[in-house]
Amino acid sequence: MKRTSRLRILIRKEFNQIRRDRRLMVSLVVPPTLQILLFGFALDSTVSNLRLGVVDYSHTPESRELISSFTESKSFRASGSYRSVNELERAISESRLDAGMVVPYPFAREIHRGRTVDVQIILNAANANTATIGQGYAAGLIQAYNGKLAREGIRPVFRDTGGFSATKTGSVTPVTAFLYNPGLVNAWFIVTGTFGVLLILNGSLVASTAMIKEREAGTVEQLLMTPAGTTEIVVAKIVPIFLLLITMVLIAIGVMRLAFSVPVHGSLVIVISGAALCVLSGIGIGTFISTFSKSAQQSQLMAFFVNPPLAVLSGALTPVEAMPAWMQPITWLNPIRHFGIITRATLLKGSGIDVLWPHFLALIAFTVVLIAISTWRFRKQLG
Amino acid sequence: MRRIWAQTRKELTQIRRDRLALVLALVLPLALILLLSTAISLTVHNLPLIVQDFDSSSASRRFADAIRASLSFHVVSWPSDRSADDALLANAARAVLVIPKNFGRDLARGRTSEVQLLVDATDSNTARIVQGYINQITQAFNQGLSRRQSSDAVRAQIRLWYNPGRDSPKFYSPGIFVLGISMFPPLLAALAMSKEGEQKTILQVYVSSITAAEFLMGKIFAFMIVALCEWLLSLVLLLTVFGLRIAGDPTPLIVSSVLYAFCVASFGTLIGAAIPNQGASIQAVSLGGFLLVFLLSGLIFPIENIPAGLRWISNIVWGKYYIEIVRDALLQGGGWPSMWFSVVMIGVIGLIFFALAWVHMRAMQVSA
Repeated sequence: MKRTSRLRILIRKEFNQIRRDRRLMVSLVVPPTLQILLFGFALDSTVSNLRLGVVDYSHTPESRELISSFTESKSFRASGSYRSVNELERAISESRLDAGMVVPYPFAREIHRGRTVDVQIILNAANANTATIGQGYAAGLIQAYNGKLAREGIRPVFRDTGGFSATKTGSVTPVTAFLYNPGLVNAWFIVTGTFGVLLILNGSLVASTAMIKEREAGTVEQLLMTPAGTTEIVVAKIVPIFLLLITMVLIAIGVMRLAFSVPVHGSLVIVISGAALCVLSGIGIGTFISTFSKSAQQSQLMAFFVNPPLAVLSGALTPVEAMPAWMQPITWLNPIRHFGIITRATLLKGSGIDVLWPHFLALIAFTVVLIAISTWRFRKQLG
Repeated sequence: MRRIWAQTRKELTQIRRDRLALVLALVLPLALILLLSTAISLTVHNLPLIVQDFDSSSASRRFADAIRASLSFHVVSWPSDRSADDALLANAARAVLVIPKNFGRDLARGRTSEVQLLVDATDSNTARIVQGYINQITQAFNQGLSRRQSSDAVRAQIRLWYNPGRDSPKFYSPGIFVLGISMFPPLLAALAMSKEGEQKTILQVYVSSITAAEFLMGKIFAFMIVALCEWLLSLVLLLTVFGLRIAGDPTPLIVSSVLYAFCVASFGTLIGAAIPNQGASIQAVSLGGFLLVFLLSGLIFPIENIPAGLRWISNIVWGKYYIEIVRDALLQGGGWPSMWFSVVMIGVIGLIFFALAWVHMRAMQVSA
């Protein structure tokens, strides 16, 4: 009984201290909102409107039709026509174009004779993603053009071989359905990933500042002279930060919902409890950092070593499957990875706890280990 | 001039004695380039895919084998009595390919058979790539079916320039290289400058004979040296580990790098002069040096995708111009004709930072 009331008094003391710290309060609300908005709007991997330059040696209705089938798609846009391949190549190397197309002189003639004609397409592959997706677009457009020619009967492909149905071979067409995000909104992926990064980075920043403050001010000794144990001191410090960060979680969910219309197909309880565990791991990381540094500046600088790997090896902004194979297992040691899976599966797909429980277990394990280690380090320092 | 040099030497001595600063300036950027350039990539491969074969004919098995043979996917097994949606909900696969009944019969009769591809589009970019891969595999499969010469009228000969292997690190590592230079030298410069304000050592500067401009030049010169050391080490890393080569004329890169070192050192000094509090100036630098350069400079994703309301900001983000130059120098080799504007912009932005720093430095004098 006495113990709990002592803890409560300590917690109230911490609450009052934080409440009076205007900068801390502001830094809990403003940066997360701003960061979600900025990341969601600024990071968009969609490949569209590639600048296409054309060299048309054929100058026939057929070649113009092929070209306009490219430029009328959303994937490419016309960015000028060139008289020679050299001019086109120069434009690509000076980054005035993303792609180029060369239609050969005998284009229309070869088509009508039933021969295959090669059209050269040059893509600036400096950006591997643009090249991969642009290549798919170009192949798809050419395929569609071929289909159109066949339908119009311009190419009587199978006529020369006697028995029609006997030699005709079938073909496979894939029909693609994009589930859970039919509009392919990239922001949904980025925003749900940023959410976890934000919780960990801001959680650890706030926690390390709060933990180090007492040491900087030299008031730790005063706390130690009170009957409170070190565990109580640490717990009392964590509780108010935790509650404040939970409000940040709610703000972030609100921003995702309002600014990016991220759907909520599953239960918010799952997301929020995952977020709570994520916040606690963040606090653990922050406390841990603070035990290694002498001042607030130093712990801020230490965060430069810890944050980038945490943010990048998480699958939050780029898919884990695109990382080298040896790196992929490491991401399982990152709370952001698990939380990202929980958020995306719950919000976008509506998955339930029945499939997400392993990630919850992992988050609980991280939280317990991180908080235990940092409490132990903190206690050792006080002793 | 002698006074500027003395100031520079004093700064460099201070940095040399601060172990954490040295690590921040020279070791961390290299570690970041190695880590981020290997980890950041969007071109996924070896994705888990489920094939639900309701036909089980020899044709359908051949089609499934064609998919299994590609490096883009690995086929995971899934009980055929459970629905495909469950697999995606449980994150067991990124996509499910459903081969319908009568697939083999339709093919044999010369009809078109539709296979259904269900893609988990939570990650829209990966979803697009999955669709592209499956299209390419089926196209190859179809060509194998019609054993004769390709019946297509037009064939695309696609050439990938500058990075034919579509090697992601080649594109991202120059960006991370710029990110490192945009972050750490200004961070140290800001810390050094705000420390002068915080500890009031700036007063000693005022009573000495050095002028404000000379003092700033001395400081900036020191952090330019830091930035250029970092530049050299990082560049060696890019050229050795990531297999990049200097393509074409190296002079735009060299000129712009010196200007960029000046630009970031002035930025840091400006922040330090404007905010005489070390904690707050670290945050300001990470906002300007990290967030702006990371988000609004085309480092990962194209600038054209940013909504117009935000996109204009990228025109004043110094990192954007330098990323263009570094990528051009290491991948495309467009040289001066395509890059002169970016070089000029870096110089202009650097001068603006210097002028602002000078103004704040005088304001500091009044407040001190």
